[in-house]
Amino acid sequence: MFGIHRRQFFGSTASGLGSIALASLLQQQGLLGQEVEPIRPTIDPGQPFAARPTHFPAAAKNVLMIFCSGACSQLDTFDYKPELIKRHGQPMPGGENIVTFQGAQGNLTKSPWTFRPRGQSGKMVSDLVPKLGELADEMCFIHSLTGKTNTHGPGENYMSTGFTLDGFPSMGAWVTWALGTENQNLPAYVAIPDPRGTPQSSVNNWGPGFLPAAYQGTDFNANQPLRNLNRPASISADTDRKTRAFLQQLNQQHLEKYPGDSELAARISSYELAARMQLSVPDVSDLSTETKQTLAMYGADDPQNSLKAAFARNCILGRRLIEKGVRFVQIFNGAYQTGGEGVSNWDGHKALEQQYSKHGPVLDQPAAALLKDMKQRGLLKDTLVVWCTEFGRMPTFQAGASGRDHNPEGFTAWLAGAGVQAPFTFGATDEFGYKAVENVVTVHDFHATLLHLLGLNHLQLTYYHNGLERRLTDVHGHIIHDILKQS
Amino acid sequence: MLARMIHHRCLRSSHGNFIVFFSACWLSFFDWAPGQSIDFDKDVRPVLEQHCWDCHGPDLAEANLRLDSEPLAFQGGDSGEPAIVAGDPSRSYLLARIQHADPSQRMPPDSDPLAAADIEILQQWVDDVPRWQAIADNASTATLEHWSFQPLTRPERPGKAVHPIDDFIQHRLEQDGLALGPIASPTDRIRRLALVVEGLPPTYEAIQSFAADPSETVWLERVEAALQSEHYGERMAAHWLDLVRFGETHGFETNRERPHAWRYRDWVVDAFNQDLPYDEFVRRQIAGDALDDPVATGFLVAGPYDLVKGQDELLGLTQRQDELADILNTTGTAFLGLTIGCARCHNHKFDPISQSDYYAMQAIFAGVQHGDQTLPLPPTEKQRRQELDRAIEELWVQLRPFFRPAVAFALNEEEFSPTDVRFVRMTIERCTGGEPCIDELEVFSGQQNVALSQTGTKATSGGDFQHPLHRLVHINDGQYGNAQSWIAAQASGGWVQLEFPEIQTINRITWARDRTGQFQDRLAIDYRLEGSINGTDWLPLATSKDRLPFASGDSELPEFDFSNVDPTLASEGQKQLDSLRRKLQQRQQLATPPQAYAGNFNEPGPTYRLYRGEPTAPREQVAPAAVASLSDWQLEPDSPEQQRRLGLANWIASSDNPLTARVMVNRLWQYHFGTGMVDTASDFGANGTPPSHPELLDWLACELIENGWSIKHLQRLILTSLTWQQSGLPNSQALQKDSDSRLLWRFPPRRLSAEGIRDCMLVATNVLDRTAGGPGFSAFQVEEENVRHYHPKEDFGPEDWRRMIYMTKVRQERDAVFGVFDCPDFNQVVPKRSRSTTPLQALNLFNSRFVLQQAELLNQRLDQTAQTPSAKIQQAYRLCYGREPSESELEASLTFVQQTDWVQFARAILNSNEFVFIP
Repeated sequence: MFGIHRRQFFGSTASGLGSIALASLLQQQGLLGQEVEPIRPTIDPGQPFAARPTHFPAAAKNVLMIFCSGACSQLDTFDYKPELIKRHGQPMPGGENIVTFQGAQGNLTKSPWTFRPRGQSGKMVSDLVPKLGELADEMCFIHSLTGKTNTHGPGENYMSTGFTLDGFPSMGAWVTWALGTENQNLPAYVAIPDPRGTPQSSVNNWGPGFLPAAYQGTDFNANQPLRNLNRPASISADTDRKTRAFLQQLNQQHLEKYPGDSELAARISSYELAARMQLSVPDVSDLSTETKQTLAMYGADDPQNSLKAAFARNCILGRRLIEKGVRFVQIFNGAYQTGGEGVSNWDGHKALEQQYSKHGPVLDQPAAALLKDMKQRGLLKDTLVVWCTEFGRMPTFQAGASGRDHNPEGFTAWLAGAGVQAPFTFGATDEFGYKAVENVVTVHDFHATLLHLLGLNHLQLTYYHNGLERRLTDVHGHIIHDILKQS
Repeated sequence: MLARMIHHRCLRSSHGNFIVFFSACWLSFFDWAPGQSIDFDKDVRPVLEQHCWDCHGPDLAEANLRLDSEPLAFQGGDSGEPAIVAGDPSRSYLLARIQHADPSQRMPPDSDPLAAADIEILQQWVDDVPRWQAIADNASTATLEHWSFQPLTRPERPGKAVHPIDDFIQHRLEQDGLALGPIASPTDRIRRLALVVEGLPPTYEAIQSFAADPSETVWLERVEAALQSEHYGERMAAHWLDLVRFGETHGFETNRERPHAWRYRDWVVDAFNQDLPYDEFVRRQIAGDALDDPVATGFLVAGPYDLVKGQDELLGLTQRQDELADILNTTGTAFLGLTIGCARCHNHKFDPISQSDYYAMQAIFAGVQHGDQTLPLPPTEKQRRQELDRAIEELWVQLRPFFRPAVAFALNEEEFSPTDVRFVRMTIERCTGGEPCIDELEVFSGQQNVALSQTGTKATSGGDFQHPLHRLVHINDGQYGNAQSWIAAQASGGWVQLEFPEIQTINRITWARDRTGQFQDRLAIDYRLEGSINGTDWLPLATSKDRLPFASGDSELPEFDFSNVDPTLASEGQKQLDSLRRKLQQRQQLATPPQAYAGNFNEPGPTYRLYRGEPTAPREQVAPAAVASLSDWQLEPDSPEQQRRLGLANWIASSDNPLTARVMVNRLWQYHFGTGMVDTASDFGANGTPPSHPELLDWLACELIENGWSIKHLQRLILTSLTWQQSGLPNSQALQKDSDSRLLWRFPPRRLSAEGIRDCMLVATNVLDRTAGGPGFSAFQVEEENVRHYHPKEDFGPEDWRRMIYMTKVRQERDAVFGVFDCPDFNQVVPKRSRSTTPLQALNLFNSRFVLQQAELLNQRLDQTAQTPSAKIQQAYRLCYGREPSESELEASLTFVQQTDWVQFARAILNSNEFVFIP
């Protein structure tokens, strides 16, 4: 279609020498004293996104993550604490010595929302997220996550990259570097920013860090298409096609001078891939083929709440990408761009009830519909759904305010779908929901587990950078075996 | 003598416990009596063998701790805690873990505690100071075996090739039955030279003239011209800025701008252009403030900086540790190729760098703070400033007698010859800040205030500030002070007017902001007082224009009124005033001293080794020092801050340092060939890769040092070698043996960097603005919230068409079109960019407005310079590929243009491999 076929290239011009078949005489050695041998993906420069084998048989093939930016309160959603309700308005024992991000603590404060038993399991979930609550039986809760920082930027970095500092590869980048993707016509890794804008740590959340740039998340959402995807409006489809063919002709002639040069060949195939993407991305983003019922289920047609409708469209887009075989999809809920401090994200310092009353409905119906829809379509068999946030919030209100301060000492995430037990609850915070006390786990453990579910050994998934074999889990991480479905 | 022993660092082992040894034990060392020694093999070994060797023996060596020999035990393990502190069992980690109260921490794990008798043996063993003294002495003489730590000596040349580089390369190739390739075509060589050295394509004419006479002499001239081009420094600086994680925003969540960071970028460009000797280049970046070059320390603080400081103390401590780690790690990797940062939490796993070394290095940088630095003025400017200040002062002395005193907060008097009026109006033009306030306006006829409302005077105004304390009635109610005052409605001024019941003969007016002296704000400084009989025709009574200006140093002098002065004197005064005004303006232009984001330096407190790198777990104090296994340079713990950095700088920039020259030579090699001889360019330690050509690397390192550390000298050597000039064409036999071309049987062709592609486009379309230096241009529309948001620009004009090195480097955000071509995000040091090929790159080059506009511009340029379609195609090939099209290329292009249009032709050319590859 676009001049020449890739296979033809390697066949005719490269004398059958795929670059990977060639001996690399001075391959990087290093790795002295590694406890376990790194497993490096073998990447053909001509097909950087080709699907690659896992380290061991995987429970999940792909990931859909919903990331609530701004630190969504565990105490107003999924972490039910009767003692907090009972001791509402009293000082927290020992609380006078706790200095959190914004300073001193006020009294213990129960959630403004009532918790009720949900599903067969009777899991207590608050009225802030009732529709997600209905699906409690599908979920595997981890209530004992702990973080390393109580600042949003570093916190989001930590949840997304395993490091509080900037500049490290995101989880999605690690996964797509390791595994490539099933569908060569779509990006391997898509980040879907909230309709209100980007999260606090912005592109760090889906950045490549020091991994090859190819593995960064491609960011677009249902309302803002992929940049530079479409041919310029001034150019007709026919002209565009002819220009691409002419370009490939120029490149082919040039390649004839350099038979076997994989970088040149890779560039030729990248234009073919781009052309296919040009067709398939608008296709996957076109929600007009969705039924009325589906749109209604997600709330994408809600005229009363346009923000919810926009987020719902992102959720539908997420499902469609997973359906098409995209390896890693990250949907963000909450943005810093249009207002921090809880205005358009979960950072409820000052007016938690008022702000969460807006954010809850935006998240609840669309996210619940997404999970339900994926289940109905059988997508949960291969897909791991992850709900997370950068850290938790305090059981107290801040001194002199009506909201909760940052709290990395104990917070909640849940998983659903491929490879995890459900309904299941793992770990617990103390009686007030302040500190993780039972089965305490770290974000590194969380990452190690997610990689494990994808068939990757977090100890062996390493990339050499500046003197170190870097890992998503730094030098930490233990798989949380208890939450894995026994096969 | 004792003090010296404490700091006698050459006795420190590679794992760093000797400093502890001496500082902790010198007393017991002298108390020790002979004859107490216990036998290792007989007494100690059985205990260790039985309880410890399962995990800490030759087989497992968990945590890199081995207890099967005394020297190994003395080295300790990964934790960085001293396993054995000679003479001090209580501080020896070995004994601490054996005796730990918490069973989960106690060694050996899951076992009963050691018997008291066994512990006693170990304690005696640790107490035996002379034993450890002897072991320490031995360790200090043990040589470091790793190749990069060996002293530099110039290797013999292996063969007889004319050029030394070719000699080494050819020799190595022959070992694998390979050979250097043929020399590349003149076109390829000139294009390669320009693209690699200047980062811009050559003109077609330059290629043509070389092709006409491609002699060695002409090549030397071309190499020289390229190295002397100002664009050379721009290209080289791009490499260096990647390496030192230079960015022009702070990063983290707020990602605010650093408007003065560009000065360091310019410093790097200039340093390369001037061929600043590399040792000096190093020294100044670490301690430029001590070397009369303060901008250079922009290096230290070029990394990200978290502006968000919470209330939580631990958060603050951790942030500071992270800042210092960034500085230290960058210094170690950039100059020494040593990953010192790896020893933050435990001893380095691969290299002889202890945790103590890490904190010794941290002590060097402990006083470095992020921030703008006010730069000292150049001497000429300083002198000019002093001269002006003196002249201004003199003029004031001369002018002062002409004027009344400046306005005051507490009272101002205006006297004038007796005048008949019924109305008095005060008009205020300017105020010290906020809306002007007057507590009482008094108008005197002789000694009597005729303005009081009690006597029937009415007040009106141009507008009143709405406040219960400040009302118009207070202007003439006879009460003083802020609480009974009038404030005008507007900050820009206003007027207040008094109307007497009958005509009065007045000669004096007084007014004040606050006669009680409490308030010092809202003072009218530019005003006039006028009188009128009928309320329509006004006579001037008094003005601020014959007062001295309110605040001295005010560069904007108000208008002066000389009407009350003797005319001859007045003209003299006017002249002096004009002169003063000019001088104040000149002074104003000098007033802002330049700033640079080059950090600030404070005297730091003590630095401690942190157990596991945790700020809450400080251990012994550490003095500033170099890596102990490589140097015995060390300072007193409380040495002045600048001396610490200068000392480190001198150690790194020394010709005796085995790493510095090797590391830089390797970088230069990488800049020219795409990959260094050591392909882990910032890791010359044991976990890095060994060099492909160790002898050549050492030979060139010696060459660098012996030629005054001249970088250009080294590059000249590379550029004149056949190795560099050979063809980039592959041959299948060599490709099968060495697919990466690491042995250099060909010049490895490679794609241009993001900057290269963008810059070359702008040259091809003839819109490149070659202005060097100064503040950069932005690729973004910046949304200025507390947290900055960067939205990619959609429209581009000449202000965007400078070289990409001048594009403001926004951390985390990459340019929307070219960023995906492996631009770093300026958060981590990047010794070598990855070179990936992705569909997003293709989409951006093929569809973006930026490139489309360039395609249109290229077409316009072709139109201007060529008449016929064939000539246009020919011109495009010349401009973009540096060559003529072949017959078939011409034909194919003509056919394509007939089917589409010229802009499409330009679009394809700008996207093509030949355009974006270094041949």
